Parts: sequence; C-alpha cells; structure tokens
Amino acid sequence: MNYSYQKKEALFAALAGVLYVISGTLHIVEGLGADTGFAALLFVQADILGGFCLAVIGMVFLYGLLEMRRGIKAGMSFAYVGILLSIIFMAVYLLIMGGNLLDSFIVPGDYEGWNIMESLRPGIYLGLLSLMAAFSWKGRFSSNGISVREEV
Amino acid sequence: MAEKIIVALAGNPNVGKTSIFNAITGSKQHVGNWPGVTVEKKMGKRVHSDVEMEVVDLPGTYSLTAYSLDEIVARDFIIEEKPDIVVQVVDGTNLERNLYLTTQLMELGVKLVIALNMSDLVLSKGVHIDEAKMQEYLEVPVVSTIGSTGNGIHGLLDTIIERSSDKRVYGNTFDYEEDIEVRAEELEMILEKDPYFAHYPSRWFSLKLLEGDENILRKARGSESYPKIKNVLDNLDPDSFESRIADQRYGTIQFMLRQVCDINTSHLSGSDMVDRVVTNKYLGIPIFLSLMWAAFEVTFTFATPFMNMIDIFFAWLGEVTVSLISTDWLSSLIGEGIIAGVGSVLIFLPNILLLFFMLSIMEDSGYISRAAFIMDRVMSRIGLHGKSFIPLIMGFGCNVPAIMATRTIEDSRDRLITILVTPFISCGARLPVYVLLAGAFFGRDAGVVIFSLYALGILVALLSAKLMRGTVLRGEDAPFIMELPEYRIPTLRSGIIHMWERGKIYLKKAGGIILLGVVGVWLLASIPVPGSGGQFASGDIYGTTSSLLGAIGMLIEPLVAPLGFDWRIAVALLFGVVAKEIVVGSMGVLYGAGTNEENLAGILAAGAMSPLVGLGLMVFVLLYVPCFACIGVIKRETGSWKWTLFQLFYGTGLAWGLAFLVYQTGSRIGLLS
Ligand SMILES: Nc1nc2c(ncn2[C@@H]2O[C@H](COP(=O)(O)OP(=O)(O)OP(=O)(O)O)[C@@H](O)[C@H]2O)c(=O)[nH]1
Ligand SMILES: [Mg+2]
Repeated sequence: MNYSYQKKEALFAALAGVLYVISGTLHIVEGLGADTGFAALLFVQADILGGFCLAVIGMVFLYGLLEMRRGIKAGMSFAYVGILLSIIFMAVYLLIMGGNLLDSFIVPGDYEGWNIMESLRPGIYLGLLSLMAAFSWKGRFSSNGISVREEV
Repeated sequence: MAEKIIVALAGNPNVGKTSIFNAITGSKQHVGNWPGVTVEKKMGKRVHSDVEMEVVDLPGTYSLTAYSLDEIVARDFIIEEKPDIVVQVVDGTNLERNLYLTTQLMELGVKLVIALNMSDLVLSKGVHIDEAKMQEYLEVPVVSTIGSTGNGIHGLLDTIIERSSDKRVYGNTFDYEEDIEVRAEELEMILEKDPYFAHYPSRWFSLKLLEGDENILRKARGSESYPKIKNVLDNLDPDSFESRIADQRYGTIQFMLRQVCDINTSHLSGSDMVDRVVTNKYLGIPIFLSLMWAAFEVTFTFATPFMNMIDIFFAWLGEVTVSLISTDWLSSLIGEGIIAGVGSVLIFLPNILLLFFMLSIMEDSGYISRAAFIMDRVMSRIGLHGKSFIPLIMGFGCNVPAIMATRTIEDSRDRLITILVTPFISCGARLPVYVLLAGAFFGRDAGVVIFSLYALGILVALLSAKLMRGTVLRGEDAPFIMELPEYRIPTLRSGIIHMWERGKIYLKKAGGIILLGVVGVWLLASIPVPGSGGQFASGDIYGTTSSLLGAIGMLIEPLVAPLGFDWRIAVALLFGVVAKEIVVGSMGVLYGAGTNEENLAGILAAGAMSPLVGLGLMVFVLLYVPCFACIGVIKRETGSWKWTLFQLFYGTGLAWGLAFLVYQTGSRIGLLS
C-alpha cells in the first residue's frame, strides 16, 4: 500500500479537526455570554448547540487521526465521514442563509441594516475545505459510497 | 375478465416488497430503508393480460416461525388465507439469509415465484447471479427486478400468471438426515388421519413440530390426536432438532449458492466505513444529536420566510373579507373565526413539510436503524431495547404510525411500555404550539427553547419507561438483534413524495377537523349565556365570559389556575384533545387574531400572556392527553381500555405537575413574568 495515501488523510484530519474544534468552542463560549472578540472577525455567533455540532465534527476528524497514527487503516473512515458531516452542516447553514435572504425580501421591515454576511458561519467556510478535499479524493468515492482498496 | 387470483408479496424485512407492491398497483404505500416499515397487510389491484390480480403487501418476516405481531400477520396470511401465488421478494445482495425463508415457503407447498430484487445493487457490487441455474435448482421461477424503479415488473407479472395456471404442486425438495425424516414421517401419518389438520400441509406442520415452534404446538394441542403427537415428540430432544434442521437448511442453501453465484467478501464497503464512525462508542451519540440539531435547524429556521408569506396572505384575506361582507355575524364568522383560526394553523405548513422531509431522509438513508443501535446502550439501562427507539423517532412525525410501528417489538410488555410512552414524543401537530409561543416570547432563543421541549419529551418518555419497567410492567431485557441495512443516498423524489403525502394530510386536516373545531369555538364564543340577554355574535358577547364558551371556560378554569392558565387557554386545551393544532386555532379565535393588526404571536407578545405562562403551556401541551386519533390507536394496539386510560391520566397528571412546577417556581423567583 501507498504510504502517502494515508499521510494526506492524516494531515487533513489534523487540520480540519483542530479548526472545527476551535470554532465550535468559540460558538459555545459566545453562547455562554462571553465576548471572544472573534464574532466580527470570523462570523462566530452565539450558538451553543451549533457550536456543539461543529466541535463533534472536529472530534470525528481527530479520532480518525488518532486511529491512523496508531496504524489502524480503517481510521480513514473517520476522515471521510468527517468530510460528509461537515458538508451536511455546510448545506444546512447555506439553506439558512438562503432563507434569511428570502425573508429579507418578504418582510423588509425586520431586516433593516441587515446584510447577508451576517448569516455567514464558520460551518460554511470550513465546509469549503472539506468540499475541496472531497473533490480531490473523488476517485475514492465509488458508486457504492466510499470504498477502500486495501483490506482491513 | 376471465380470472381473478390473489398474489401475496412475502419476504424478509427491507428487501423491497412494498416498493414492488407500489410498482405493481400504482399505490404510494410507505417505503423506507429499515426493517419493519410495513406492519399490516395492504391490498391493491392490478389487471395484467386479462387476469385480475389482488395483490397483498405483507410485513417482512425472517422465517415462518413468527415472533412479533407483524411477522404473525405475514405468516397467518400465507398459511390461513392460502393466496394463489406467493411472490417471495429476495434481496439479491443478501441471498443466504433470504433463501432460508424460501426453504420454508417451499416446504409449505405454496406456489412460489421469486423476485430477485435489488438486482441493480447486485450488479454494482460486481456479483453475478445465475438466475437460470437458481431456477433449475429450486424448481421455482426466478425474475430479476428493481423495486425502486419498477424494472422487471412486467416480466414478474407474466411469470405470476404463467405460474398460477400451472397445476403442478411443488415442495418437499429438502431432505433432512435420516432420523429427522423418520420422525417427520411418523408425525405426517398422524396428521393426515386427523381432519383437524386438513387445513395445513402435513410435511410442513410436522417439521415445525420437530423444530418446537410454539405457535404450531399450541395449534396441535387443540386436536384429538395430540397425545399421539406428544408421544413422538417426548422421545426426542427438541433443541437439537431445531438447530439441526436449521443447519441443514443453511447447508443446502450454501451448497446451492456456490453453484449459482460468485460471492466476494472481505471488502470494507462504504456502509461499513460509515458505521465504524457513527456507531462508535464515544462519538455515536454526539453525532446522532448533531444530526438531529441539523434537521431541527432546517425545519424551523429555513421555514421562516415561507411562514411569513402565508401570514401575509391570510392577513390580506382577512381584511378583504371583512371589508366585503357587511353582515356582522357572517363577517365575524369568516374573519374572526375561520380565517383567524385556520390561518393560525396553516402558517405552520412549511414546518410540517420540512419536518417530514427530514424524517424521510433519515428513513431512506438507513440511518434510523443506526440510531436505534446507538441508543441500545441507553435503552437497556431502562430495560428496553434499541428497537423501541425507532417508534420514538417516528413519533416526531406523528404518534399514530409510531404506535403501529411497535408491532415489530417481540416482547409484549416491552411493546406495551413503548406504546404508553410514545405519546410523549413531540409530534408534528404540537409543533405549531411551540413555534407560536416560543417565537412570541423567546425571540433569538426560540430555537433552544423548542429543542429543549423535544428533549424534555424524550426524557419523559425514557424515564416513564424506566418507571413502568420497575413497577407495573416488570420484565427481563432480551438480547437485541437488529439488522443494519446498507446506506443509500436518499432520493429527492422519495423525499418530495413523502413530504407531499404528509402535506396533503395536513391540509385535509386543516380543511376538516380543524375548521370544524374553530367554527365550533367561534360559535360557542358567540352564543350568549342563556338569560344574559346579550345578542348573538355581538361585540360585548363574542369571546368574553358572557358567551357560552366563556361560561364553560370559567367552569374549568379553577382546574388550571394554579398553572397560571386563564379560561381561554383552558378552552383551547379542551378543544385541542380533538387535534393538537386546534389549541393554536382556538387561541387565534379567542385572542382576536382576525380583527387585530398583529398576528396571534404579536398579540401574545404584546402582553396577552406572560412568557412564563407560555412556557408552562408548551410543557403542558407536550405531555397532556394525546389527540383522538392517537387515543384510538392506543386502544386498538393495546386492546385494553385500562391501559389507554392509564396513559391519559398518567400523561395529564405529569403535564399538570410539570407546568405547575414551571409556573410556581418561575413566579416565586420572578423569572419571565
Ligand atoms: N437500489 C435498490 N433499492 C431498492 C430496490 N427495491 C427497493 N429498494 C429500496 O429498499 C428499501 C426498502 O424498500 P421497502 O419496499 O420499504 O421494503 P419492504 O420489503 O417493504 O420492507 P418492510 O416493510 O420493512 O419489510 C427502500 O429504501 C427502497 O427504496 C431495488 O431494486 N434497488
Ligand atoms: Mg414494506
């Protein structure tokens, strides 16, 4: 088997894992009322449950990293499922963003001074990272879902 | 028309029976990627080549030894009603397990046709199945099908007709070890002499007796020749016979499979990979909760613009009608009654559609079985198993099918507990109440409040189950066996069909029972209390305590006064027993949403109700008496008024207690008032 094949996944899992855990934590901290100062910069809003979800995605990546480091090849599953989850959440946040945009046309009164950037969330721009990874690894996602060539 | 035949669709759970049924008959019965979707038999018709077919879709069953209620339905239909043709739908990707049922159907001597379903998946897995060889080996016609697209249905129908006109009888194809055969023959001789057994194929019946099948033994006990049967059975060890008979069936199947197809194993499939993660010991439950939150966000947040559109429409409609109709009472009926009431309910159509879309994704992807699997550890602490969790999830849509879904639970006490706690799961009809009240009082935190209510529902369900398990319904917990079907990417089409079907039900409900309910409320709110001298539907009567409704409300108000509820809420709750949406509908009528500038949420937020009362009301609506339809199904499925009443009183008591707690603590410490 090809070593670099694993290494890329591990690297990605480490990066995405850390980013998701951090942004999830920031959401939670904001949600608890503290001002992290990141709200304006990174579009982190007060959102405890949403933050929990991002942190869980991050943990999935990191768990996979842990397994891969221990030499368990199926640890890659965690990287793939992490990608899947982060894309699902990106889709959810995009839907909400679209909903807000639509709503701003229907009841403009409620949206004075609002602009679409206020609906941007870490879940969206971090999702782009996963989307890129998914595209560059497309070959490994067969019609049966995700498949690996090696045996476990 | 020349002929009429009855065709039964049988097979293991989740192999695509209902998909094929829908393709044959053009119906839209519920399909989902998890075992146990169909729990009752469904009929449909189809005419093909001048033959009229009555097609029956059956619940899935692993063998003809039935354990759970849904399996009993399937088995009884095949054995007692004797359909002309039994089509066994077989999952081509899982032949070994599926063919076990085939062996039993063959022994039963039914006229069998095999639909080799999921043939698309077989192909994509790179497996080749030699149908001709399989047909030859089993002496049963085999037709490849793809249930979800309807491919091969024509060929299947042709084969069914051909087979039904073929008068030969098959069966008895499997030979067992010598001593089993000897016993079986002894029993067959006894059975054939007794007219009591004339109804059953004797070979099959005697093998079942040897396997120690409880149901069959019970039937045998009713006969005069039972002593003779007992005599044979007493001389052998039933456990060893049972496992040897099963082993030999599997042996024969494996022998055949080696000739019929090339199986490749040892490959970590996509499904396996996903399962490694989502059923992980530490991450499984957090992932489940995250996905629930995602579904929840879509259901509530994304729906907002669509709700606003409907709201604007009804506000406009209200104005137009009031300005067009000059008769006072009529304009009040239409504006303050129907439009305010039904409109307050219809606003939530987008939520309902999205909720069912989310549930359909969950069902079609196959994740719902994983949720049950993950929750098994939590459930077994309670003394139930993971299977009981599926009805609870289905309950988020509607409690009625959820209670039906408990039929797959084998143990009758487990099933009873699950039925009794399912109404605590917050269904789609209760959702309008939360969206209304949380939206009115909690602004940005509305999402968290609603999510907490859903969580409270689950918590109450689980704790109540534990309580019942520990007291009135003691029992052992049985080992949990649940098949995890392969994941599939849910199709937009099936999501939309599902959403549309439920949307239609909601609209029908709004135009039917809810309309009736709000008109009733309006009428009672307009009739003056006899002897008070007021005028029908006049301003100083309508919606006040001088109306008949007001009088009724005042009568029951003392019951709920400790919860901070006034007579309007009391009346709304009373009518809400018919259907929970009516709670919102009647509030729309009673708080004057038809005449006011504001919609109902606006009126409440402006001070018609305090946030604390709102919170208590949501808790109360979550837990109190389920709707009529639900009460009906509890009665039918438990078969007992005692347990039905128990549910009603227990739930309402709990609702009262918790709402009391919320209101009293809240007002003591001065929160939210
Ligand atoms: N790919 C593929 N999927 C299929 C086929 N037939 C059915 N399905 C899918 O398989 C799943 C199960 O289908 P159902 O028709 O509900 O199965 P059932 O046998 O009625 O299941 P129970 O009622 O639970 O026993 C659904 O997700 C269907 O969309 C097929 O031929 N190919
Ligand atoms: Mg079915």
